[in-house]
Amino acid sequence: MVRAGSMAAGYRSLWRQMPLSFRIGALMLLAHLIVAVTGPFWAPYGYSQMGAGIPLSGISWHNPLGVDQLGRDVFSRVVHGSPIVIALSLSATFLGLVVGATIGLFSGYVGGWVDLVIQRLLEALISIPFLVLALIAISAAGVEASGNPVLVVLVVALVYAPRIARIARATAIDIATRDHVTVARLRGETAWSVMRRELLPNASGVLLVEFALRAGYAPVLIGSLGFLGFGMMPPTPEWGLMISENRAMLLVSPVTVLGPGLALASLVVGLNLFTEGLARVLGRTVRLGSL
Amino acid sequence: MNAPLLQVAGLTVAYRRGEGWVRVVEDVSFSIGAGEVLGLVGESGCGKSTVALQLLGYRHPGLRVEAGRVTLNDLNLTGQNLTGQNLTDLPRAELDRLRGRHISFVPQNPTTALNPGMRVGAQVGESPRAHGDAADTDPGALFAQVGLPDDQAFRRRYPHQLSGGQQQRVCIAMALACGPDLLVLDEPTTGLDVTTQAQIVALLADLRARLGMSMLYVTHDLTLLSQLADRVGVMYAGRLVEIAETGSLFRTPRHPYSKGLIASIPQAPGNAGFGTRPLRGLLQRGALPPGCPFTPRCDHARPGCAETVQRLTPAGAAHQTACWRASQLGHEPQVAAPEPPRRAPARNETLIEVKGLSVAYGTAAPVVRDVSFTLGIGETLALVGESGSGKSTIARAIAGLLAPVAGEVLLRNAPLAPLVRLRIREVRRRIQLIFQNPDASLNPRARLATTLRRPVDYFFPVESHHSLQLAQKALDQVRLETAFARRFPDELSGGERQRAAIARALLARPDVLLCDEVLSALDVSVQASILLLLQRLTRESGIAMLFISHDLAVVRLVADRIAVLFRGEIMEIGTADRVFAAPFHPYTHALLQAVPKPLVRLADRAQMASAPVGVPPAPGRGCAYAGRCGWKPDKVLCDTTMPPWQIAPGGLRIRCHLTPEALSARAAETLPEEILA
Repeated sequence: MVRAGSMAAGYRSLWRQMPLSFRIGALMLLAHLIVAVTGPFWAPYGYSQMGAGIPLSGISWHNPLGVDQLGRDVFSRVVHGSPIVIALSLSATFLGLVVGATIGLFSGYVGGWVDLVIQRLLEALISIPFLVLALIAISAAGVEASGNPVLVVLVVALVYAPRIARIARATAIDIATRDHVTVARLRGETAWSVMRRELLPNASGVLLVEFALRAGYAPVLIGSLGFLGFGMMPPTPEWGLMISENRAMLLVSPVTVLGPGLALASLVVGLNLFTEGLARVLGRTVRLGSL
Repeated sequence: MNAPLLQVAGLTVAYRRGEGWVRVVEDVSFSIGAGEVLGLVGESGCGKSTVALQLLGYRHPGLRVEAGRVTLNDLNLTGQNLTGQNLTDLPRAELDRLRGRHISFVPQNPTTALNPGMRVGAQVGESPRAHGDAADTDPGALFAQVGLPDDQAFRRRYPHQLSGGQQQRVCIAMALACGPDLLVLDEPTTGLDVTTQAQIVALLADLRARLGMSMLYVTHDLTLLSQLADRVGVMYAGRLVEIAETGSLFRTPRHPYSKGLIASIPQAPGNAGFGTRPLRGLLQRGALPPGCPFTPRCDHARPGCAETVQRLTPAGAAHQTACWRASQLGHEPQVAAPEPPRRAPARNETLIEVKGLSVAYGTAAPVVRDVSFTLGIGETLALVGESGSGKSTIARAIAGLLAPVAGEVLLRNAPLAPLVRLRIREVRRRIQLIFQNPDASLNPRARLATTLRRPVDYFFPVESHHSLQLAQKALDQVRLETAFARRFPDELSGGERQRAAIARALLARPDVLLCDEVLSALDVSVQASILLLLQRLTRESGIAMLFISHDLAVVRLVADRIAVLFRGEIMEIGTADRVFAAPFHPYTHALLQAVPKPLVRLADRAQMASAPVGVPPAPGRGCAYAGRCGWKPDKVLCDTTMPPWQIAPGGLRIRCHLTPEALSARAAETLPEEILA
């Protein structure tokens, strides 16, 4: 009993030592996760249930975020969309991070002509506009795959990986000149071992922040894909798609985009605060209590 | 004495640390008279720089002045008399008028202090422009004042086109631009070579004599201070523990900490022993007693010390100390030094042989040319020279980080592959490199256990099941607690990190340690203990050591043999005793003269400042030192013909056109008593 109490006190003091941005971000993300997990059970309407109110009738007690042009309750749609958006964005960004970081760290550490070739390839990929790249990838996958969430994840990862790889490469080049990497090289460690033991732990701060920034923009990318008919298909309550759908009605009923917009913004801000705080905790020199 | 120019009373400063505030300076009081040079000395983290910045009314969101006053006498800003006004309370606009004109600042690192995108002439003009009198300042006159060329071409240079010493001169010129009454210097020579450092100190002494300016000189180098300062204040853990006239402090230090600091000074040739009693322990900010902060490390501590706050009390003429036992303690600055026991003479087997080594970066001219030497088993060879002399490059070539353009390195008579990835594991294990900066050489994101176990797992996979025990044993060997294995490098002090780096090198069970300036990033008192550690380890385990340093005093203590390098060529090589005695190579002589010696005023060594700076002859043609040599027998000969190796008694080899007899004669002409004392 006593032990449990001291554990709780330990966690409380650890929490207090965290930077403010970390704490705010963590609370925002926690709220999003709770909604994503429990939302479908308590949302007042289904995501494609029409007749929730008069279309475009604005905010009321009954429809806190308004009603869209088809008479669907925006609040319910936002709640139902939450798990979809979070799962898609996070998995797409994570995939992009893993692939991009591996390529980037390797390229930056090895250097020479390997680096030169990899960089030119990445630049070629980056120079293709996002939508064109996505179109090429989707048409390569075939029409029947369109609307498949796995394809959406792969396409977003393909867009992100080269951009993350460039950041990872720049970080690797910086870290590779430090003496502890030289020590590993003098020992004769393989490139893979150096990347795993020396580079990755020291690049993690940069990569985490990069992850948060990209994860925050991923819902927007997924939304644009949906808007063009290549991403998630209506009536999926994906937030970006909802903003696209209601964009035309912006002058008549600005409230309808407010719901998904706010949800998206709070997710992005929460992610950013959280990762920024995390990077500071990981990168800084203070000790975090004895837990 | 008239009223002091500046007075600091009861200054207490705190920094924000997490949620709370930590006091870094407590109750510091001193004054600086007109034309006086006050030195502040202490280990890193003792708050000396914080005090210096407060003299300029420095403010920062993470810093607050909790108590105390900084006042200037005779302070008149446009239209107002601010005499006696507390600088730490002045509004920003008035501080702006004060800074530069009345008090100015010379920072530690000129490379980062100068704007890299601005020509130096324009930078010097910035301060007068900010004070609104651009018309009557002439950068040329300022440059001439600090010993820089005052031609237009020089003014149009960018900072990166200047040497470190020249950059620091520009910084000093900037500080002088508005003719301040007080110059605050924060470690202005720490990053510079010994010879350059001596020149800057000579310049400061000269400026002070000419302009009658007051100075606050903050440094960790007590020896340097003894040459310049009228009075010295010793700080420890944010408190001023002793303040006295320079001579009085050196001859009769009263506070145990001052005694320890003075005893930690590696003595220049003549007084071979040093670190008779290097200060034990480390400054631990987190665990300071409420009373005297030095109690945990003090040999004379009594039970009361930890509880009672010690205040400065008079202890003799112009001498104040903050130790209630000062009068009971002896005055002796240091105990007679027991000569560190010399290792048994190295066996006459060659471990490493370097033959005609030349190394270049890229396609540029080689920075190391035709260097040959041998290192015996268990022997310590020191490579000495100023920065840019190629001493680190030689270590990197031996380690296999740089491929030589010519020549080869042999390990136990077997030629080594030029690059580390071409070498076999056994060879890589035998040669271990220890770096200058322990902050960078340990992976900041790995616990010490992880870092230390890796060499065992890598080189001795059979023993990897008990690599943790081996790591702990190595920690014990370098006198670190085994519990440190769980720590991250940022939880260690600089000296502890360097010990951990040494432990990592030892775990590979090497034949030779290449120590690349391993002391220069550390505090004086820590340097002494690391040096003792290295001596003990090499003696116990018979590991050979290539010890690279710019500090002759340190080298003398560890090296069996010494090679003096200049611009990538060996100028003189021989056993330590022979190198430090006549005959000297002209460059060795100049180096020895530049070593600061306690209480030897620079006036005696004025020629240092005016050392000829000439254009070096093309590499490979003529003597590398010809451009700076003051002993040249024949200008044409030295500039065009490679000097021969002169063999002096005792196997000492000197590369010079002068014969050993002539060199001895030259050395005897100039300051014989100082060098041979």
